[in-house]
Amino acid sequence: MPKVQVIDPIEVRKPGFVEFQPIPVNQYQKTVQEEKENFTTEEFKAIYHDMVLIREFETMLNLIKTQGEYNGTSYNHPGPAHLSIGQESAAVGMAWTLTVDDFIFGSHRSHGEILAKGMSAIHKLDDQQLTHIMENFFDGVIYEIVKKDFEGPVKELAKRFLVYGTLAEIFARKTGFNKGLGGSMHAFFTPFGVYPNNAIVGGSGDIAVGAALYKKVNRKPGLVVANIGDASMACGPVWEGITFSAMDQFKELWEGDMKGGLPVIINIMNNQYGMGGQTCGETMGYGIAARIGAGVNPEQMHAERVDGYNPLAVIDAYKRKRTIIEEKRGPVLLDVLTYRYSGHSPSDASSYRSKEEVEAWESQDCIRSYGEQLLEAGVATQADLDAILHNIKELVYEMFLKSIDDLISPKMENPDVIGEMMFSDGSVDSFSDAQPEVLLPLEENPRVKKIANKERFAFDADGKPFSKMKQFHLRDGLFEAIIDRFYKDASLIAYGEENRDWGGAFAVYGGLTESLPYHRLFNSPIAEASIVGTAIGYAMCGGRVIPEIMYCDFIGRAGDEIFNQLPKWQAMSGNVLKMPIVVRVSVGSKYGAQHSQDWTSLVAHIPGLKVCFPVTPYDAKGMMNAALQGTDPVIFFESQRIYDVGEQFHEGGVPTGYYEIPIGEPDVKKEGKDITFLTIGHTLYPALKAAKELEEKYGMSAEVIDARSLVPFNYEKVLESVKKTGKIIVAGDATARGSFLNDLAANIGQLAFDYLDAPVCVLGSRNWITPAHELEEAFFPQPSWFLDMINERILPLKDYIPGQNFTDSEFIRRAKKGV
Amino acid sequence: MAVVVIMPKQGQSVESCIITELKKKKGDTVQKGEVLFSYETDKASFEEESPVEGVVLESFYGEGDEVSVLENMMIIGQPGEDISSLLVGRGAVEDEPEEEVETIESTVSDSFRGDVARQEENSVVSNKEPGAIPVSPRARKLAEKNAVDTSSLSGSGPKGRIIEKDVQAALEDRPKMTPLAKKLAAEEGLLPQSSGTGLAGMARASDLFLPVNTVYGKDYEDRKISNMRKIIARSMHASLQNSAQLTHHLGADARRILALRKKVKAMLEEGQLDVNITLNDMVCFSVIKALKKFPNVNTHFLGDSVRYFNKIHLGLAVDTDRGLMVPVVRNADDLSITGLARQFKEIAAACRNGSVNPDILSSEAGSFTVSNLGNYGVEIFTPVINLPQSAILGVNTIVPRPKDIGDGVYAFVPFIGLSLTYDHRSLDGGEATRFLKQIALEIENLELDIFTLIN
Repeated sequence: MPKVQVIDPIEVRKPGFVEFQPIPVNQYQKTVQEEKENFTTEEFKAIYHDMVLIREFETMLNLIKTQGEYNGTSYNHPGPAHLSIGQESAAVGMAWTLTVDDFIFGSHRSHGEILAKGMSAIHKLDDQQLTHIMENFFDGVIYEIVKKDFEGPVKELAKRFLVYGTLAEIFARKTGFNKGLGGSMHAFFTPFGVYPNNAIVGGSGDIAVGAALYKKVNRKPGLVVANIGDASMACGPVWEGITFSAMDQFKELWEGDMKGGLPVIINIMNNQYGMGGQTCGETMGYGIAARIGAGVNPEQMHAERVDGYNPLAVIDAYKRKRTIIEEKRGPVLLDVLTYRYSGHSPSDASSYRSKEEVEAWESQDCIRSYGEQLLEAGVATQADLDAILHNIKELVYEMFLKSIDDLISPKMENPDVIGEMMFSDGSVDSFSDAQPEVLLPLEENPRVKKIANKERFAFDADGKPFSKMKQFHLRDGLFEAIIDRFYKDASLIAYGEENRDWGGAFAVYGGLTESLPYHRLFNSPIAEASIVGTAIGYAMCGGRVIPEIMYCDFIGRAGDEIFNQLPKWQAMSGNVLKMPIVVRVSVGSKYGAQHSQDWTSLVAHIPGLKVCFPVTPYDAKGMMNAALQGTDPVIFFESQRIYDVGEQFHEGGVPTGYYEIPIGEPDVKKEGKDITFLTIGHTLYPALKAAKELEEKYGMSAEVIDARSLVPFNYEKVLESVKKTGKIIVAGDATARGSFLNDLAANIGQLAFDYLDAPVCVLGSRNWITPAHELEEAFFPQPSWFLDMINERILPLKDYIPGQNFTDSEFIRRAKKGV
Repeated sequence: MAVVVIMPKQGQSVESCIITELKKKKGDTVQKGEVLFSYETDKASFEEESPVEGVVLESFYGEGDEVSVLENMMIIGQPGEDISSLLVGRGAVEDEPEEEVETIESTVSDSFRGDVARQEENSVVSNKEPGAIPVSPRARKLAEKNAVDTSSLSGSGPKGRIIEKDVQAALEDRPKMTPLAKKLAAEEGLLPQSSGTGLAGMARASDLFLPVNTVYGKDYEDRKISNMRKIIARSMHASLQNSAQLTHHLGADARRILALRKKVKAMLEEGQLDVNITLNDMVCFSVIKALKKFPNVNTHFLGDSVRYFNKIHLGLAVDTDRGLMVPVVRNADDLSITGLARQFKEIAAACRNGSVNPDILSSEAGSFTVSNLGNYGVEIFTPVINLPQSAILGVNTIVPRPKDIGDGVYAFVPFIGLSLTYDHRSLDGGEATRFLKQIALEIENLELDIFTLIN
């Protein structure tokens, strides 16, 4: 525990120097001749083969993009093709020693890595294993296509399978590795250890770290390689991922066999350009990218630069780095120097580099120079090399023809199936067969014992509320659901800022620390991109995880992870991947403009996320149970204003046992007949106060519906209510403009038009910064605002003097001003 | 040069006329002064003569059409003449048969189309009730379902929007409606009367009426009248215009006929009689007896001659759904009281169900007419003579009147009122009075042979 780590002022105030070890640069300089005893002839030739395969594959795509044909066959590929011609030795060297258990994650320029890692797996798997994989992937659809009219050995068949599956994916065919939904920049094939490539620069920088976390926590064999470009070293999430991977706690605080570094290699595929920007000399300042390791931890991430133009140098580095990983001394940083002749993309005119520079690199071409070494060392004859090239050309052309044939490789006839892939909608008790590691029996947990004495319904038999301290709080409901899952699913981990000893900033996790070992509950760096990004990698590999965003306002810090990665991978993988992630997000108040914003609308806007916002203990527990039982990414909002609210609605109080409340079902919290209030989040409570006043003073009875979820959302219950009342106010704490409230309102307006007795009204917060607590009443919807709105837009109330100005002219005036 | 014949304006208040007959059709040749068409206003009918000699080049309306005054009716000119310039500005093309519209449209100018479009637009605007009052979709739906006219409501929502509760309040203010009434009301825009005739005041389809906006809208509706009405109107009007009518009123002691009535009623109930002999039958029977004694009354006045009838052909005014009818019992003086009663019932029924022989309906068929309003409680009225008959008897209700019953003793006695209208051209007051008195005597001393027969 950190308490044991005393920060001694005498120690830390001592004078001294930070010392660095020299970082090796291109130290390996051996040739084929010199490595003859470490490789068989076949291995040498296979390395050559794999490089040529990549070269031909990329050349084919280059010809299609630039000339519209390959070997005289025309084809139009409108999608992207970021090619890696010139980088083949770096890819093959990286993949050569990796086993099927080792995972690679890539970038937008990863066709070569897919083929290299795929070939590496084909070399290592026996025929039976290969056949099993091919027969079972997508029910053998690809297998049937490549097997047709082919009589050769299984490994050759597997090669056809690899080339075809990748190419069909690039060409958006239903028969691609990801049903054509990933495409060139996202293609992957997990049975060969090829994990998602990522079209966002540095996207894999934190995801791969999460994959390594999964391997470590779940004791899975293998290491994880993040193939990211040299330019991605400037990206915040990459730096966050590296920082996360190098946390001291792995070595200092994690216990038993968990002690030790993460099995991850940050592999910089350093082709020396970020699109058109030169990373060395123009857009970065590191000079040599390997230098970065020195800034991360005392081990300097075991960083070194390797000559990626020599496949043997990369293979050598991987052999050595594997040892470091196996000794639990990760993470590792590799700077693999390489060069691409092809442009960033087909539209690249290479205006940023000279012809001479490209020619100079071509003159040292990795494939030709390696081939020459093979000839020199007498490992292969020119005829051997020619035969390899010839066979590859034949194979690539044949697979090309198959993949562009609409009969063999149809495009998705009914794109509506994409809708079916947005969510996996699974129900899984546990993602692990292991016994969940806990430190004490559940009933002995101090929080569990404390909760046992609480009143699970807010009111006594006479309807009098119990004291706040006696009541079972919303945070208790969350805790019960979460600790229950920790005792059921060994794969479940939770982390975020102050999650462990602190018990979470808002005491939801109080008592969890006592039950869970470090590797299941820990504090992360204050780096939201890494918190969410690593969780994505963790879940992609098959684990369940609860990352926490302490304040809703920090969502922006994990923008790419929440908006581009988390929501998309289930569908982009063609449903190969599941995303059992529950991102807990706490919505603040009292702390002003950057700590009190309701950003539910932002995530609701992004397809692929389930979004819920329960505001009662009963709903919180039931929906957390449902979220944790599911297989989809859920953004789980909680309101800091009501963590201590008791259960006021569910008769009998919050059940002690397990139950689920399905995400997507709004709930009528109070029945009424004259008007409907539909609320998101905490606003339920002001709405109930408004309903009371409305009833007492104006004889109108309001039906109050708690949306509970934003995505998915069942409108039926709301429409039923509107059909009854004819009037509705949709209210929430989000700033009104562009909020999800408007989405609900517009849809209700359309679906219940003939039943409406007044326009659907939206009551949100003002379009300002959230002011200080003292001024919040002027910002967030108050009970009186409901009456103001009714009086102005729905039904004039007798002798009513409005507080808020909801007139048309004021609305227009504010809109003109942008407030 | 072709000439346009318009629908003339007949008097200040006339807005339109109905074409009763087209005497000339498109293509017909006409002489100057020949009648082109006849038409009528609500007061009179007229004929329009051709102002020139020529051919009917165009005729815009058909028989029965209602045409606004000053509207073009026909174009008279020479065959083959270009009349397109005359068509400009003429509205109501939509009333034309289709082929003709086409020929017209092919020759009309764009400005003409524009005019029509504008006119239609204007008429749309002016026909609609002011639609400025907003109505919520829910209120509109409820109003439509229950046939509530929202234009008559005032809204209590923001900016005067009519909301559900305004419609509900309107619904509470009117009787409940049967499903059929609701359906009809919704389809035809009708409203129920304030209290319906159904169970518990429920409004039935028959209780619906057209809503009237008494403040801004017109509170009347012009309906074409039936032929029957026309005949009645014509004959009644002619009667008053063309004769010298006056009416004498006289009462007859009704004790005798009331006693007789009691008797025949009892007999009817006991089955001794197979026909119900009413007071009216007895009065008519008395009238026949009186007529026999006053042949000057049983006549037609024909201007320069008087037609005397040997037999008595008695007309009886009958009120039917379609209007007043006066069927005649021919040779009524040949009938016994039971025969007369039976005949009256037969012809009255025939009139009511429309199967009456038209020959017995004409005023020429009868020699004298009785009109009995006594049933309705009328005490005095002045019946209008069914010309060319010389007189008509109106029978009133029976009222008790004081009468000297001898020895200066007065008692209330039932009297039946008799109102004789006679044509002074045909009869003088003395004779008419004596005739009327004779009827009273006959009534007061009526003997019916049925009793003697039975006895």
